[in-house]
Amino acid sequence: MAEQTTEHHNPHIEVPNEHIGIPGYLGVFAVLVVGTILTYYVALMDLDWIFPGANTLVALGIAFTKMTVVGLFFMHVRWSPRLVWMSAVGAFFWLTIMFAYTMQDYLTRGTGFFGH
Amino acid sequence: MSAHSHSDKFVYHEPGLQHQFDDMGQQEESVSLGMWLFLAQEIMFFGGLFTAYLVMRSKYPLAFASGSNHLDAFLGGANTLVLIVSSLTMALTVYYAQKGNRNMQVGLIVLTMLFGLTFLGIKAYEYTDKYNHGLVPMAGLNRRVKADSPASEHVGLVLPGETAVSASEAKPGAEPYVNPHGEFQWREYELVQHMMDKQRAEPNGHYLTLNEQLTYSTSPGSLVLDKDKFRDKVRIFFYIYFVMTGLHALHMIIGLGIMTWLLWMAFKGTFNAEYFSPVEMSGLYWHFVDIVWIFLFPLLYLLGRHYEHLGL
Amino acid sequence: METVGAIEAGSYGTAKLNYLNNGSTLKSWLLTKDHKRIAIMYLISVSAFFLMGGLYAAAIRLELLTPASDLFETGTYNKVFTQHGILMVFFFLIPSIPAVLGNFLIPIMIGAKDLALPRINLLSLYIYWIGGAITLWALMQGGVDTGWTFYTPYSTTFSNTYVLAVGVGIFINGFSSILTGVNFLVTIHTMRAPGMTWFRLPLFVWSHYAVSLIFVLGTPVVAITLLLVAIERVAHVGIFDPALGGDPILFQHMFWFYSHPAVYIMVLPGMGIVSELLANFARKRIFGYEFVAFSSIGIAVFGFLVWGHHMFVSGQSMYASLVFSFLTMVVAIPSAIKMFNWTATLYQGSISFDTPMLYGLAFMGLFLIGGFTGLYLGALGLDVHLTDTYFVIGHFHYVMVGGQVIAYLGGLHYWWPKMTGKMYSEFWGRVAAMLIFVGFNLTFFPQLILGYLGMPRRYAAYPPEFQVLNIFSTAGASVLGVGLTMPLFYFLHSLVKGKPAPDNPWLLPGLEWRTSSPPPTENFDTPPVVTWEIYDFGDESGLDLEAAKREAATINA
Ligand code: HEM
Ligand SMILES: [Cu+2]
Repeated sequence: MAEQTTEHHNPHIEVPNEHIGIPGYLGVFAVLVVGTILTYYVALMDLDWIFPGANTLVALGIAFTKMTVVGLFFMHVRWSPRLVWMSAVGAFFWLTIMFAYTMQDYLTRGTGFFGH
Repeated sequence: MSAHSHSDKFVYHEPGLQHQFDDMGQQEESVSLGMWLFLAQEIMFFGGLFTAYLVMRSKYPLAFASGSNHLDAFLGGANTLVLIVSSLTMALTVYYAQKGNRNMQVGLIVLTMLFGLTFLGIKAYEYTDKYNHGLVPMAGLNRRVKADSPASEHVGLVLPGETAVSASEAKPGAEPYVNPHGEFQWREYELVQHMMDKQRAEPNGHYLTLNEQLTYSTSPGSLVLDKDKFRDKVRIFFYIYFVMTGLHALHMIIGLGIMTWLLWMAFKGTFNAEYFSPVEMSGLYWHFVDIVWIFLFPLLYLLGRHYEHLGL
Repeated sequence: METVGAIEAGSYGTAKLNYLNNGSTLKSWLLTKDHKRIAIMYLISVSAFFLMGGLYAAAIRLELLTPASDLFETGTYNKVFTQHGILMVFFFLIPSIPAVLGNFLIPIMIGAKDLALPRINLLSLYIYWIGGAITLWALMQGGVDTGWTFYTPYSTTFSNTYVLAVGVGIFINGFSSILTGVNFLVTIHTMRAPGMTWFRLPLFVWSHYAVSLIFVLGTPVVAITLLLVAIERVAHVGIFDPALGGDPILFQHMFWFYSHPAVYIMVLPGMGIVSELLANFARKRIFGYEFVAFSSIGIAVFGFLVWGHHMFVSGQSMYASLVFSFLTMVVAIPSAIKMFNWTATLYQGSISFDTPMLYGLAFMGLFLIGGFTGLYLGALGLDVHLTDTYFVIGHFHYVMVGGQVIAYLGGLHYWWPKMTGKMYSEFWGRVAAMLIFVGFNLTFFPQLILGYLGMPRRYAAYPPEFQVLNIFSTAGASVLGVGLTMPLFYFLHSLVKGKPAPDNPWLLPGLEWRTSSPPPTENFDTPPVVTWEIYDFGDESGLDLEAAKREAATINA
């Protein structure tokens, strides 16, 4: 018979069901709380001297970090099949396509080399 | 082929195994992939809104900052924490479902729902606040305050948790609040006025974007603030705020519906080490909604806070 | 007869239990979780929408018979073409192949008992019905006149027709597509029979994989866009209305982010069918299987990068237009790869010209013209001249009707014996195919010329110089209309009077031909194990050709 090809023969059964256990979950929780408080206080500082919009970048950085730990640990992506991983990352990638190609229009309007 | 026979005759039918699958492994993998793909579409669904936000904010950064400063960052932050706690209890629910511990499951689901309700309660409180202050972008959907009514002197101060900027007391001599038709109201022009003045003094500075210089001015390039025009842009911020948080709240409400069902199932003792994927799937959904809020909080509540040190 | 395996004698004619006679109450249909029954209900529904859309098309062509706007007032005319577009795009063409043929065939082709999520499948049908019902209700109340593209600020601020209700209908309908897409992706990943490797998948399945990606990643964006339009209409706040500080071009970005990929939703499944038809009716393994398979994925992915070619004259930045124009040229490459591979497949094949194959060949010719005219439009300078003219109308009808509808008809004829267990009349089938081909070209080729000469789209009146070509077009539309109605009659006739179909009427190796016609509820009597390569017409395929021929002969006798 042909070799086994369908993927459903290696479900994540071998993986310990415990994942990271209760201490692990509490650790993730702590990271999230710290991130929230951090994001609040950083927002109060004026970081525009670095470059305009630095505040937003920092805020987004923290948000991404929080999202990543929620995804990896609470949502178990860390122990999930590659396919799950791909659909999570893929959707974000698609979102950046939408952002990038839309902004490519807005940011190049007006005067300049390509201006009207 | 040996591990699982397709033929129904020889397969011991595990409870919860649907007929189109050969075994639980296949079923779980399918259901979880389906859920993740559903979340992928949710990302794009909210993504459309984030695109609108991105474009509008890049066009009118100051209007967005001013509008944002009018939101209650403390409540927004508190809600973020509430959701994070609910995410923790949800994750633990899955943990105990895998262990087949019925009491912990039931308790944690109840907790998760309570936190969800708290979130919605705070949200409702915030919405009421916006309603009282004439910040709902749709005409007629705000509290109507006649010129002679007592409320007109207090900008809705009846409510606790009033932000300092909006309290008429904070600024002596502010005109009384009247809004007979429940229109969108906006009175905070200090920030934009400040930037406009600086821009006029320093025409090559970057206090306003080019687009803002054109669209906030009485006439293109005049650099004299047109309050009505600016108000329209702030209104766009509040529009986006309501659509984004509203859609998010709708997801929370759906989540609570799912949790109610889950509570019933857990109460009946449905889940154990072999069969817990409904808990896991509901958890994925719940965490996703949390993640959306993780982004909404800084993007809606915090984007103009760093202007506050200007002391305007 | 004791032929083991694919062909079992007596699987036709006798009252063998199959998905059609397994329960006959209304409930057994409306609450079914069987993908085949759901597909049949989709078939009936999309056909109804096709008919309605067709009536609007007839109205448009009648109006354009004369230069003056004499049949309709201009406002009514706006509604007529808008409703034509909405019904055809959202309620017929997008669900047509995926929800009918894809639904029916994907599980069978991969050797599964059903889709992975049958309840979700049924749910998607109901969502489609609800969305359709709301839209139809709105059309009866007075309709909508914005064009199928709902451009703002017209749709948000100025139009006083039923934009809101139609928007809601399409919004809801979108979730039907999304759920179908999720279901297909999961199914293709997790439900393949033992031995059914990725590169043994029929190309029909590959193209549905690609389409499902677009469903899942694109449709939510148009849903949210329409939601924003709806809110904007109600609340009079503008992110799309320039008078309120909004930006109408933002609407176009968001709309086309979905709707350009959506035009590939409206051709990829057709390409999948054509790959099946050409390989099977030339009895040759398709040339460059992997290239054809991956070009589908390539189209789905790169299709997301070109939407700005609909906005060259909208006020989009010149830089963005350049990038989008360039990428438009690039995205034509995977389509071209397919054309080359199909052509190479035909080379030295033993071609038979049964009805489905006629559609397959027609597709190649028509899609060629459709694709080339697309390149003209994608060329930045030329598009300034051609945009919003009948050239665009001609272009997209060549791809959407000449492509997808033709392929859909080809697929329906090809799998009709499998779906219903009945043979249709081959003679009438060929006549209809010819009429459609001739009628189609007569309708739409003149439109390309008209557009090139400068006739704008979406007007009820036009300068008298254009009348001759318009008369050609209307005449062609009549022929096309007759051709398209014929299958309705001979298909229905076949259900009553048609000869019973053998399990494998075309003597082909695919999995769907190894189960009975019509298939049993769980698709196969014994779960299949795939040991042969796809499009293998030789001995290795394990196909008992002689037995299949014998069976066909018994039936014909
Ligand atoms: C070879 C690939 C293709 C290219 C390069 C291409 C290019 C274009 C361009 C540049 C336009 C914009 C014309 C204008 O508005 O001025 C256009 C319009 C259109 N195309 Fe294509 N196209 C291609 C394939 C397709 C396919 C496969 C379909 C559908 C099955 C399709 C459907 C449409 C539709 C519906 C419109 C008009 C939308 C509207 O304004 O109402 N195209 N195409
Ligand atoms: Cu396009």
